[in-house]
Amino acid sequence: MSYYDIDAILTDAQKVPCTFEITIPGLGYLEGNSNTDIKQGTRVELPLWLAEMLGVSQRLGTEQNVVTLDLPPALAPRVQNALKANPCTVDLRSLASHYYSLGERILGLLEEDELVDILSETFKKRAAEIADHAHNPQGVISSGGEFLKGLDENERQLFKISHESAKAIRAFLSDRSNTKK
Amino acid sequence: MYGDLGLKLVQHAKRTQSLSQLPPYQSDIVRSVTREVRDLDRDVTEMLEPFNGHFDPAEEPATACSLLVRHLCMRRDKRCLLAYHRVRVEMIEGMCWSGSDLLDQVQASQNKVAEEGARIGSAEGSGASSLSPEEEEYARQYEDLLAAYKGQWTDIDLTGSLEPPRDLFIDVRVLKDAGEIQTEYGAITLTKNSQFFVRQGDVERLIAQGFLQKLN
Repeated sequence: MSYYDIDAILTDAQKVPCTFEITIPGLGYLEGNSNTDIKQGTRVELPLWLAEMLGVSQRLGTEQNVVTLDLPPALAPRVQNALKANPCTVDLRSLASHYYSLGERILGLLEEDELVDILSETFKKRAAEIADHAHNPQGVISSGGEFLKGLDENERQLFKISHESAKAIRAFLSDRSNTKK
Repeated sequence: MYGDLGLKLVQHAKRTQSLSQLPPYQSDIVRSVTREVRDLDRDVTEMLEPFNGHFDPAEEPATACSLLVRHLCMRRDKRCLLAYHRVRVEMIEGMCWSGSDLLDQVQASQNKVAEEGARIGSAEGSGASSLSPEEEEYARQYEDLLAAYKGQWTDIDLTGSLEPPRDLFIDVRVLKDAGEIQTEYGAITLTKNSQFFVRQGDVERLIAQGFLQKLN
């Protein structure tokens, strides 16, 4: 992950629910009202780049944790169950634009062993579906539109790559048979 | 909230990546983000003032956390700014290599705007350029650097097309008057809307610059 990677920066901008464990003066703007203190026990949604650094202080064994992190709604048990039931019907994009990257970052912060399996299984199942749609573009118009709209950013790249590689192979093969004649 | 403007810049950059042309430079947002960083830095300095340089984070966890948040915001802003500019710089460099005349376009659009501005009587002349003045300067110097680099090998055109030509000679149509060019077979005057059968190597640059159109 590069410092300049646009997708990494956008991943970092996704929100995570946090609970403040100590009262901090002058941080009210995180809650939306300026010039007030943030009270102990306040729940706010913070972007990942902020939540991560505040959250890791609990890992370093300091006496007071600054914030406690929770699972973002996109990775909540309800969504996990839906993914377990059928990975291909969930609209990942409406949950989070960089869904897998978000999951990856969250798993670095929270212990969720089951989530690892669910996410990798989801990706595998959906990747096969994506490859199918990319190679048979007729199906896209009739039935796959809904599914393709719900792809997260990584899956979109995957779709584009597999679509273009199929096209390139076709161009290469027809080119070769032309020059042989 | 702090960092939101930076995010807007990065979203612009994301869109820029999938465009073929460079969209206008977001000077307003860039200025706001740098102002935000300056504000945050002033806050931090004010908060640290009463401690006279002997600040112990363990004694004041709340203040330390507040400082941490502000510091993180500044770092985030910096990352957004750098990433935004890098995406644009990479596109400018790509344009220099592909030979599309970046600066000519800029000047042409500026001239047009200047003319219009003169007619209307307003002083806003440079608003239409999609490059910031700094980026224009960068493009110009990069162009010079590229020319100096290419000058070492006069028999190879480093910025030439990578695709091998199928035919030595091609049909071209002239889209814009380009004056007279010298070829092995004598001089050709390229006047608008005329059509020629010429050697591809002679006119490749003119096609890239949009003076000529290749016909199949």
